[in-house]
Amino acid sequence: MDLFSGYRIRSGRDEMFTPNLTVRPPYRDFLERVRDWDAATFIQRQETADLDTLNSGITFTVYNDDAGTERIFPFSLIPRIIAPDEWNRLERGLVQRVTALNRFLVDIYGAQDCVSDGVIPPELVFDHPAYRLKMAGFCPPLGVYAHIAGIDLIRDSEGVFRVLEDNLRTPSGVSYVLENRRTMLNTVPDLFPEGRVEPVDGYPERLLEMMVAVRPEDVTAEETRAVILTPGAANSAYFEHSFLARQMGVELVEGRDLVVHDEHVYLRATTGLEPVHVIYRRVDDDYLDPLVFLPDSMLGVAGLVNAYRAGNVTIVNAVGTGVADDKTTYRYVPDLIRYYLGEEAIIPNVETYIGWREDDLAFMMENLGDLVLKPAEGSGGYGIVVGPQASADTLATARERLRREPRKWIAQPLQEFSTIPTFDGERFEPRRADLRPFVITGESSWVLPGGLTRVAANAESYIVNSSQGGGSKDTWVLREQPEP
Amino acid sequence: MLSRVAENLYWLGRYLERADNVARLADVNVQATTEMTPAGGGQAWDAVIATLGAAEEYEAALEERPDLNPIDFVIYSTAYAQSLRSTVAAARGIAREVREHISREVFEEINRLYLGTNRGGTDEASLRTFYATVKRAVAAILGLFDNTVLMTEGREWFHCGLFLERAEMTSRIMDAKYFIILPVPEDVGGPRDRYQWMAVLRSASALEAYRKQDYGPVTGPRVADLLMFDPDFPRSLVYCVSELHRHYDRATEHTPPVRSVHAAREITLLELDLRAADARNVIRSGLHQFFDEFQGRLGAIDNALRTHIFQALPEEPTR
Repeated sequence: MDLFSGYRIRSGRDEMFTPNLTVRPPYRDFLERVRDWDAATFIQRQETADLDTLNSGITFTVYNDDAGTERIFPFSLIPRIIAPDEWNRLERGLVQRVTALNRFLVDIYGAQDCVSDGVIPPELVFDHPAYRLKMAGFCPPLGVYAHIAGIDLIRDSEGVFRVLEDNLRTPSGVSYVLENRRTMLNTVPDLFPEGRVEPVDGYPERLLEMMVAVRPEDVTAEETRAVILTPGAANSAYFEHSFLARQMGVELVEGRDLVVHDEHVYLRATTGLEPVHVIYRRVDDDYLDPLVFLPDSMLGVAGLVNAYRAGNVTIVNAVGTGVADDKTTYRYVPDLIRYYLGEEAIIPNVETYIGWREDDLAFMMENLGDLVLKPAEGSGGYGIVVGPQASADTLATARERLRREPRKWIAQPLQEFSTIPTFDGERFEPRRADLRPFVITGESSWVLPGGLTRVAANAESYIVNSSQGGGSKDTWVLREQPEP
Repeated sequence: MLSRVAENLYWLGRYLERADNVARLADVNVQATTEMTPAGGGQAWDAVIATLGAAEEYEAALEERPDLNPIDFVIYSTAYAQSLRSTVAAARGIAREVREHISREVFEEINRLYLGTNRGGTDEASLRTFYATVKRAVAAILGLFDNTVLMTEGREWFHCGLFLERAEMTSRIMDAKYFIILPVPEDVGGPRDRYQWMAVLRSASALEAYRKQDYGPVTGPRVADLLMFDPDFPRSLVYCVSELHRHYDRATEHTPPVRSVHAAREITLLELDLRAADARNVIRSGLHQFFDEFQGRLGAIDNALRTHIFQALPEEPTR
């Protein structure tokens, strides 16, 4: 207990300790194992871990930085630990959610039943900038749009996990999950309860299996050629693209490496043109095909979308998934789950007001100081205004923006979310953390046990994005204790 | 293999070999002239700059910055693309881009070399240490490459780049000696001449080989014989071109002839000509013309690789 003496829980729930500082069950074994550690031991182990991270080049790119444009992602040795029963419930809830979202996407590009049945207002779907008219009437193989989903979860003060955000375009972060685990096993193998932590290294194999499963109809599994499409080495997530290509043993390509002939996609190899059947793209819709989307995109492949619509290549994730992971659509996801699956959402949403609805807007204007205002579009933690922490000036500007373009904003009550002890250089302090599990969907859905735990940069912050200085932790899903 | 990746690996080989040669060249030339010329090392740097074919660029850079030190230009410049630092940075940029095609060990070694070239002094002693570090690092990278990278097409492209660059640099080193360092005919055969030829041998790491192969007292024609036509010396023109040939054949094993034949023809002819040539004849008919033509033919090979293989316009797929 030495290591954590003097630890203070500030607000919200702490993952490791109850309010009167007794250890929660999932952490009992862990605390037993660090019982003999003092701060010096911890610092020394943490330094070993950081060196391991630096050497293996686990970096992300910081734009416009002269001193070297790559940084390591801060990593903290204290893991997030999830109990088996908690995880079972999360796993079911994630599969349920992703299933409903895929049904929704097939529906809005197909029969559009959810709109005619009044589940969601048509404007929210068809006026959405990410709605791709080009995809109307098209159903991708196996009816899967969101092959890879990253669902951001938080845990509220009552201990309930809630969905904060869906990411269905090109969610990133999974390479950190795998590398964090590798670093932990390298530097603190003695902290793992033997045989009781779910491994995470099955991810690349599952990903490849899924890509083969969603191949075009007339291609056999054996001849399927899958590739990863990257915007290039200057992209902030290039490490992850390269990492996944290495882990799966597939080619990492750029737009200029691909060419389309007669609605078939080929790779420009030294030996000539070689067919490509499945593309895991890490390039946004807008840049994918200059003939269909942004005409001056240098990152895409001319003719790709036509080849896709002709069913000769599968794009992962599908074109047009952006409608479903929007923060406005988010408000309707519990309704969509009920509508498509006849079930209640296993993982609830966070209460959300959308500027698009007049009654919500009035409430938002009235209560901005108590709410967190977020742009409906966009990611990376940019443009967020945390009402209770904002100055009067900031609030006035935010209110003005909201008045001018109400549809661009949503608001949520300031959500307390749970903290995990994190070392600040001298002692442990509670820092807020979220959890992004990854769901792969081919013939069925599979959830990577755990996911990426991101922690805020300091004790006050509610924002965990790496672009805002946040760090990460290993995430342990415990297995059921074997019967003695 | 992806054409872009093949081209990148080819350039990775070229840049690493070039970095090694620039370090050698600077090291040896400065050393040799400091000993022989009381005026100091300025003339040596002129020779290095001339060898790299960078005289015009250096002039232009001097116009902008009259106080520009040749060391800052040849070694540390980030503006001059052929400087040691730029060359290493280019190699490292490529290594990062094709990381999935080289081993973790090779990447980390190149990364370390890159981090090392970002700092360094301009005084004689720290420069010497710096050159030694670069040479050792490149040697380590080549060794790791041979021992940890898969025996696939990419590996062959890497070696094609490496040997083409080495052939080019060896010819430049010799060319510079004959026509730039020594403009005075009566010096030929004199002690100064001999000393400079020894510097050339050292630039090419060839002095010990010269002795072992029993060439006798150091003279221009004999040095030319070793550096150009000795098939057993791993930096000679004939050795480099025949290695280029061997690796090219392996790299293009599955490439359709319509693509591979262009560079293959250039490489085969060049190798045949080198094998048939004789140092005395070459010297009689003009060494400088020979190197001019040789470098032109390497340029034609490079061009054929780019046009017909790396950046070939996609033909109709065969179905």
